[in-house]
Amino acid sequence: MPGNPGSINQANVDLFKAKAKPASIEVVVVKDLKAALDYAIEVTEKTELGKLMPTTPGLSPPDDPNRKKTLAAPSISDEHFKLLSQKGEAKGFEMVRSKLRNHLAGIDVAFTVADLGISETATCVSENNSEDYRLATMICETHVLALPMNKLVKTSYEAEDFLIKAMDKDNNYTSFISGPSRTADIERVLTLGVHGPLYMHVALLEE
Amino acid sequence: MAESMKSYHNSLKEALDDSFLRKTLDKFAVQYKANRAMIFADMNAKELISEIADNKDQAMLHIEALYQQFVEQASKKGVHVHRARTAQEANDIICAIAKENNVRTIIKSKSMTAEEIHLNHSLEAAKMIVNETDLGEWIIQLRHEGPTHMVMPAIHLSRYQVADTFEDATKSKQDSDIEKLVKVARRELRVHFAGSDMGISGANFAIASNGSIGICTNEGNGRLTTTLPRVHVAICGIDKLVPSIKDALRIIRVLPRNATAQAITTYVSWITGASECTLNDDQKKIIHVVFLDNGRIDLLKDPKCREVLRCVRCGACANVCPVYRLVGGHRMGYVYIGAIGLILTYFFHGHDRAKNLVQNCIGCEACKDICAAGIDLPGIIQEVRARLNEEEGSPITSTLLAKVMANRPLFHTLLKFGKFAQRPVTSGNFVRHLPTIFAGDQSFRALPAIASRSFRDRWPSLETASQGSVKIGLFAGCAQDFIYPEQLESAVRLISAKGGAVDFPLQQSCCGLPLQMMGERKAAIQTAKANVDAFESAKVDHIMTLCASCANHMKEHYTELTGDDPSYKEKTAQYLSKIIDFSSLMKNVFKFSKDDFNNQGQKVAYHSPCHLCRGLGVTQEPRALINMAGEYVPTPEEDVCCGFGGTYSVKFPEISGTLLAHKLDGIEESEAKPKLLVTDCPGCVMQLRGGEHKRSDRVKVQHISEFLDLNLKKK
Repeated sequence: MPGNPGSINQANVDLFKAKAKPASIEVVVVKDLKAALDYAIEVTEKTELGKLMPTTPGLSPPDDPNRKKTLAAPSISDEHFKLLSQKGEAKGFEMVRSKLRNHLAGIDVAFTVADLGISETATCVSENNSEDYRLATMICETHVLALPMNKLVKTSYEAEDFLIKAMDKDNNYTSFISGPSRTADIERVLTLGVHGPLYMHVALLEE
Repeated sequence: MAESMKSYHNSLKEALDDSFLRKTLDKFAVQYKANRAMIFADMNAKELISEIADNKDQAMLHIEALYQQFVEQASKKGVHVHRARTAQEANDIICAIAKENNVRTIIKSKSMTAEEIHLNHSLEAAKMIVNETDLGEWIIQLRHEGPTHMVMPAIHLSRYQVADTFEDATKSKQDSDIEKLVKVARRELRVHFAGSDMGISGANFAIASNGSIGICTNEGNGRLTTTLPRVHVAICGIDKLVPSIKDALRIIRVLPRNATAQAITTYVSWITGASECTLNDDQKKIIHVVFLDNGRIDLLKDPKCREVLRCVRCGACANVCPVYRLVGGHRMGYVYIGAIGLILTYFFHGHDRAKNLVQNCIGCEACKDICAAGIDLPGIIQEVRARLNEEEGSPITSTLLAKVMANRPLFHTLLKFGKFAQRPVTSGNFVRHLPTIFAGDQSFRALPAIASRSFRDRWPSLETASQGSVKIGLFAGCAQDFIYPEQLESAVRLISAKGGAVDFPLQQSCCGLPLQMMGERKAAIQTAKANVDAFESAKVDHIMTLCASCANHMKEHYTELTGDDPSYKEKTAQYLSKIIDFSSLMKNVFKFSKDDFNNQGQKVAYHSPCHLCRGLGVTQEPRALINMAGEYVPTPEEDVCCGFGGTYSVKFPEISGTLLAHKLDGIEESEAKPKLLVTDCPGCVMQLRGGEHKRSDRVKVQHISEFLDLNLKKK
């Protein structure tokens, strides 16, 4: 059952990994959330500095070669953000936790935690009523998600209870994310990163 | 404005000459089928589809209750719910929402419902600036075109055309590299996302139990459209209401798989109540849901057509349509495209816009076979034709034919006269010169001559047993009775070789399919009843047809066609339970085996008739039989229509001819280079043989009964 700590269904883990490949999702297995934070730092370090985009008509992209890489993590706990910030700032990243509307020209990496995973379709499910959560994960070039292995279910039907709880609330925004933003609208050629991330990483947490 | 049939033909011709479109859609058609088969590999698609059909039907029966429940739930959570009876009302509601919120700029994520009501026109007339954000939709918006596919709206355009369009839009030089073009859209549209006051989305689901909506997108534009602006308006057809989350999850299992052969769309957004929006003082989104009726509630009261409301807008009916593949979306729909588009145009956009379109269905049933909600699309298209005939009067040719065919003695007399009338123009078994009404248009194939002696004339002198282990009643069908009686004779010899008895009730008539296809309902009823009566007294175990189209039509429609007369209930059921196609009879009843044939190892291609493989679901038997008497060699796209489609090939010769050429090219250019093509439908034989005759008979075409008979070991 989802959310039952300690019970990891290896078949679901394997299925998630297998289905992630065709969905262009990079999967790694790490020990715990702290290790996932390290992974986010590592990904940010390796990623190329993203090109910013104009967000107001007439404004050309800020072409500052000294711009810092941005790493946003809007929905993690104070403690984890502090930890992440220390490491990120040491690497020279700009760390962002809120007011993502001020960054619509783009950020390099967003780190978030998923509430549930659906193996059959390599889907990360998250409640993201927070506007910052939604924006960070759309305007980034790379999205890194931490997903506890014991929150993996096989099919979407098994996510029903989770969804009912979420959608019974007065206001709720829940997202299924199953890969980077994609389009095939020009000549049916699959192209990643049309409006949202170009890359997606899932760090499966053993604990 | 009603388009004339002539100008419709002109636009078809234009599309057929568009080599980019042809190449793109051809490639797509082949890849789609392979990819879809893979993505459904570990699932029972048929079962899932039938569950969706049942669930949608149930939901539709309780639509008002669902609507009330949605309103109650959503309103409680701060969502403003509206219901628009007409397209105009929906446009007015949305314009009013924009005005009361001082909206000047709008971004839209993809919504077919917004296309249906031409929402952009209304918003622009109200001085709003509207930008589409789905890449395909944005491209066609910039080009002032309508979508040509429900899921891939710009599938008809090349990268070069897109680059030109973007050059105009950005006033700067653009590379035709697709990745770069996508980046242009990302950059340009981000500006609009950031600066817009209102976001308009569609909704794939409106969930009554929670008052939530669900939106599927791949690009993520749906998520940005519903997040960035301070106002969100979702518009959807009232048919998008489902009782529970489970119903939506079920549809999601099929929708993306059927649409683009993806396991799931990249994003599914579930929105409940007013989610956080930092632009508004109360930190909450202003959210409206507009339900559109626009004829849907009337459609609910229409038992013959209401299942179209099951449609989940996956677009698969276009993906597999052989006609769509040739002519593209602008000729296969008005706003909605493909088989569902032909139908919805009639119901949502009026008879004038629909009347040419609904003629352009070849009846191959590929759409029905693939539909995510199990809708009988070809059946409903025929029903729409019948209604158009009733409303506007049948075309004169159709009326005449209906009168003649409903009267069996008259019809058969005319066919017999036909063989005398054609004498000066026949050459061998083909018609050498065609009567002027066919001239030119039909030049893509040779048409067969009417046989000098029909099967019904030959029958009395045939050697058959009247007693045997099994008694077979022959349902001849017009084509075999009057054009290819030798195919029936072959079948009779095969049955007799296995000790079967044969009967041929002479009062039988045409199966009525041509009448059904033309929308001539009354005549279709008369012929159905005549056939049921003709076989009632003949005590046969099976009723065999050599024509899959006859069998399929009878099985699909006779219950309904004879349904007005209770005295037919029992005997129609009896009649239908006995119908069997030739190949199944030979393989499964008479148990023919390799030992019965002289097998010279001849390479044989097979064309799988639409109404046999999809209509009756028979695929293995004919191939197994071919392997008994020869060597079956696979050729490309065996189950794609040959282009015959009965009267379709006369109405749309340009399309029929192109489908035929594609089919024959595929066989002639296949690796095995077979010199013989076998099929089990006389209509397909007529089309394929006629086409090969024009190509100097490089490949011989036989009905499977002839092929088996020719290779049968003589005892």
